[in-house]
Amino acid sequence: MTPAGIRERDLESLDSIWSGGLGAAWEAYRDHHADGRVTLAAALVETGVSLQGLGVHTAPAGELLIGDLCLARASRLLADAGDRELQVAFARAVETVSAQAAAGQSVSPIRDLLRRALGR
Amino acid sequence: MIAGRRLEIATTRATEFIDVTQSLQAEAERAGLCNGRLFVQTLHTTFGLLVNENEPLLLADFEALLERVAPNGGVYLHDDFSQRADVPDDEPANGHAHCRQIFLSPSLTLLVEDGRLLLGRWQSVFAVELDGPRQRSLALQFDGEFGGARERPPSGARDLVELELARQLAVDPEAVQVPMRRLVEAGGKRLRPLLVTLGGRLGSRPDPLRTSTLAAAVELIHAATLVHDDYVDDSATRRGKPTVAAHEGPRRAIAVGDYYFAKATRVIAELGDGAVTSTIAEAMEAICRAQMDDVALRGAYPGDHGSYLQVVRGKTAALMAAACVSGAQLAGAEPAIVERLRRYGDLLGIAFQMADDVVDYSEASGKPAGQDIRQRTLSLPLIYAHEDHEVGPQIRDLLRHDPDDTAVRQVAELVKASGALERVGDEARGLARAAVHELEGVDLNGTGATFVELAHSAVDRIS
Repeated sequence: MTPAGIRERDLESLDSIWSGGLGAAWEAYRDHHADGRVTLAAALVETGVSLQGLGVHTAPAGELLIGDLCLARASRLLADAGDRELQVAFARAVETVSAQAAAGQSVSPIRDLLRRALGR
Repeated sequence: MIAGRRLEIATTRATEFIDVTQSLQAEAERAGLCNGRLFVQTLHTTFGLLVNENEPLLLADFEALLERVAPNGGVYLHDDFSQRADVPDDEPANGHAHCRQIFLSPSLTLLVEDGRLLLGRWQSVFAVELDGPRQRSLALQFDGEFGGARERPPSGARDLVELELARQLAVDPEAVQVPMRRLVEAGGKRLRPLLVTLGGRLGSRPDPLRTSTLAAAVELIHAATLVHDDYVDDSATRRGKPTVAAHEGPRRAIAVGDYYFAKATRVIAELGDGAVTSTIAEAMEAICRAQMDDVALRGAYPGDHGSYLQVVRGKTAALMAAACVSGAQLAGAEPAIVERLRRYGDLLGIAFQMADDVVDYSEASGKPAGQDIRQRTLSLPLIYAHEDHEVGPQIRDLLRHDPDDTAVRQVAELVKASGALERVGDEARGLARAAVHELEGVDLNGTGATFVELAHSAVDRIS
């Protein structure tokens, strides 16, 4: 069941991961921004990065693709919400952790980066 | 028609015959002119054109002839500055050169057939300096049938995109920059940036710099999808080089793809155009959904025409359509034009992928033979052959288990024998024509020929 404040289309093809981490991530952000699209975008970025195992493990192909969809969906939600500064800040968060992962460094907690972006 | 080209020539002597035949041939090739006309025009009054034999003694004869007709040091009213008004301080005494030029041509029309200048065995084209040494220019225009994607006007915009790509990569951390640079510099058709650039000329506020930023970001999105695709498909090579996953390992490949998805998103957001941001975001989502569908459909391999179109629309056509649309949106194009471009990009993308599927069955594909069959990638020729009453049962039998090299070769031969390649080729050409049809009646600000060329070159690869 889709939680209040989230449109069904925003979870299309991703409902299977709601109970597998996306829902919990959303709970962690829901009080950090008034726009439900933005909090869902934050949850999707966190879940996408986690599924792809950045800095932790090598994601199997299936999880990589779901992770890609999470990140792309988040990007679209932020575009819908029309908050340019948040789009830039969220993208920078992903750039930070992916560059760290590529360099074999320990990866910053994405939740901290996203919450900082939300609270700017 | 292609206009705006210049051939720059630095002459070294007072009178000089410069053979420009090879330079003009190269310009015709660069323009992709197959059959038509090359117009050459001198932009000077003491610099002419001539078609004749390139034989040194003959050229000396010509020079002597010009000297006899209009001797240097003779008396010319043009050189009597006291009789002329408004004579610039640097005006040379060159009446002889002006008089000599009336025996030469200020312009030429050269025929081009099958991509070659149509010249007789002894004919060469000369630019003739009559008052050198100087810096000279010849103006060139091309008209006729163009083939291949060699012409990508405006070349200045293309250079800007390459510079912007290099600039974007240069500021990235080494761990992501190096593998992405290797991929980007390995080539690629740069079709999507070109579509952005063309779209960017169709609005009321064209801005080449912002357009090139968008074009480079779109290319980075495309490259990022390739990095992840190659990991998913377990591909070893791309553009003749090891894939990022094969070269750097899958963990880094995933991170590199993510980095450039995010970076491109940010660069586009920073352009500050909400419509452009939404267009690209929706395309990225479509690509990801299609990629998931593609993998899911491998269970029902080789699939059917409907599922093929569904995947191709997302994986290939979505970003091509978004490239056309976003360029036009950034330039403030009318919504009606934007919609026509979206349909053009969609049809072009599908035609392009179909042509790719056909090319995969040729030796010239650059991929290991039968790669699509091994990877169970959706491919329209295989779908058609699979449905064929004669070869279909054999193909089904060969694909029942993971095919070995022999089985892959047999499947490929059966596909070729079934006529499926011709059928897909015809379908792709029909889509390319439909793409061109979408732009009929649209004011394309001089880009029409390039849009048409692109559509045809997308499918010309088949033959």
